[in-house]
Amino acid sequence: MKYARLLFIGSLLTLLIGCGSTGTDTVKVALVCPLTGDDAAHGQGMKRAFIMAIEDANAQKKLGGITIEALPFDDRSDPKEAVTVANQVISDRGIIGIVGHLNSGCSIPASQVYAKRNLVQITPASTNPKLTQQGLKNVFRVCGTDDVQGSFGANYVFDTLGFTKVAVIHDKTAYGQGLAEEFQKQYLAIGGTVTSFDGIDRGEKDFKALLTRVKEGEPQLVYYGGLYAEAGLLSKQSKELGLAVPLMGGDGIFTNEFARIAGSASEGDFASMVGLPPVKLPLAKDFLARYAQRWPGEDVESYDALTYEATMIILDSYAKCGMDRANLIDTIASLTYNGILGETSFDANGDTRNKAISVNRIKDGQFVFYEHTAAVR
Amino acid sequence: MFAQQIINGLTLGSIYALFALGYTMVYGVLLMINFAHSEIFMVGAYIGFFILALLPGILPPIIPLYFLIIFGFALLFTGVLAVAVEKMAYRPLRHAPRLAPLISAIGVSIFLQNLVMLAVGAESKPYPETFGVAQFEFSGLHVNSHQILIFTLSIVLMVALQLFITRTRMGKAMRAVAQNHIVSQLMGINTNTVIAVTFFIGGGLGGVAGVLNGLYYGSIKYNMGFLPGIKAFTAAVLGGIGNIKGAMVGGFALGILEALSAGYISSEYKDVIAFVVLILVLVFRPTGIFGEEVAEKI
Repeated sequence: MKYARLLFIGSLLTLLIGCGSTGTDTVKVALVCPLTGDDAAHGQGMKRAFIMAIEDANAQKKLGGITIEALPFDDRSDPKEAVTVANQVISDRGIIGIVGHLNSGCSIPASQVYAKRNLVQITPASTNPKLTQQGLKNVFRVCGTDDVQGSFGANYVFDTLGFTKVAVIHDKTAYGQGLAEEFQKQYLAIGGTVTSFDGIDRGEKDFKALLTRVKEGEPQLVYYGGLYAEAGLLSKQSKELGLAVPLMGGDGIFTNEFARIAGSASEGDFASMVGLPPVKLPLAKDFLARYAQRWPGEDVESYDALTYEATMIILDSYAKCGMDRANLIDTIASLTYNGILGETSFDANGDTRNKAISVNRIKDGQFVFYEHTAAVR
Repeated sequence: MFAQQIINGLTLGSIYALFALGYTMVYGVLLMINFAHSEIFMVGAYIGFFILALLPGILPPIIPLYFLIIFGFALLFTGVLAVAVEKMAYRPLRHAPRLAPLISAIGVSIFLQNLVMLAVGAESKPYPETFGVAQFEFSGLHVNSHQILIFTLSIVLMVALQLFITRTRMGKAMRAVAQNHIVSQLMGINTNTVIAVTFFIGGGLGGVAGVLNGLYYGSIKYNMGFLPGIKAFTAAVLGGIGNIKGAMVGGFALGILEALSAGYISSEYKDVIAFVVLILVLVFRPTGIFGEEVAEKI
């Protein structure tokens, strides 16, 4: 009896202190991204990196005796589905944080659901600036944003490639249209000419009518805001129509799946990427080697390193602070984390201060690293 | 640019037309909208995909022979699948209220979509580039060999279908069943056989359209039938549902309309424009462009 009372008082004290061990023996981290559907190549890569992060953390006993459980969810890139899944996630009290989503159009509505329960959400892939401008304290982002990426792309096309006439196409999603608009704004500001600006529907397959018109404007490059499935078809069909100019896109087309859809037409196409590719990160060498060992035969996809880092940031902060949700948010907000991406810390909105961007180009059906900026800050 | 847009539209329209025939033929004999038809199209694309992946290991690459095998198999298999769907999901409901087979069709559509998704995965698959594509250019107009294939094959199949309907006994029986089930039964026509043949032909043509779609765009997915399915259904309504010539004309009209509106007005509003035209046509001709023959039936 006496011991039981002591134990009770002891656990009360621990609770009062707030930061400390949690008393539970498992905690869960959720990953929400498209595991099926058009963007599954990105999402499956994120899942592999996520599982690896959890396995590593368990092996390192990051949370002492507590086992960490990986819970991947599928939002199918559909904003409606994303909200449904988000509600499912918040109903599980064991979940300490969310890594995801991929699409900005999914992240934005889902973040409001997580905010209701003060649950930490770190996105490794949603680049629309609006996500962190909603005034939600629980939302963080380890990748760069489209205002940086779009204007970087514009400068790159104008200054480095020397193209003065560009056609812009986007897929009308929060991500695609946002990126295309940022690109256009900067490109016009530095004196470039945008020959046409058009939206397409996701899931469409025939863009020849549009491309025939785009060709009339004689652009030197086609800039596409959107994801790889449509980008592959656009690249292929534009070359079939004799519009033999390179296509450039953002992080959404940065996967070799793009070249598989476009075939040889994609040779010489560009993709910018938020963050440096893992091959250029000195600290990611070990990650890449272990990835190849853990997932033999699989490509390291665009957001894998970012997903690994986001997962580790949640776990690392949890180890420091414990189960109180508001506390966890504050810990992450003031954190300086040194991981495979280099140094990560967050600004007042929850955006990472590490804003390096790289350019990659298709060579022999694969994206190869082309050049990069010094970290834009 | 105008001529190029017409070429773009004709390619799109050929696939719509071939696809629309399945909707219109089934409607003609059963007065029912076969929503599972878009999945028949998708299954056709997958059959072509697997045969194309297997063939180079079995046969030397003789292109006409390849074509014959791929389209032959796709037509046969999807035709049989359509007949099986009719037998299992529609025939038991033939005398039920008209809404029942419609719901059953939606059920079959969901079933087939998920079956394929679980069997082959949810990612899009790149279509094997066994043939390679030859690009032609005449005074600024770009056409490739797939576009020529799509256009010629659709025209050949549609002419063959038209001859079958007008010149053969089975075709005559089909027209009779379309006019009146009971009377044609009284005249000694086996309506069940006629309906099965209708499903076979409609499904087979849908399957061929699926293979053409895969070859031309180069990637397929389990839900690829949905969007073209809606378009093909629209084409059938535009031409006058239940009317075979109408489906062909409707398909080409819709394809060209889409290409011209994306090319001259806005790619964002091309579907809006296409559907506004559909509504206008239906306001002034409620039975579609070729709709008179159907009107007497309803």
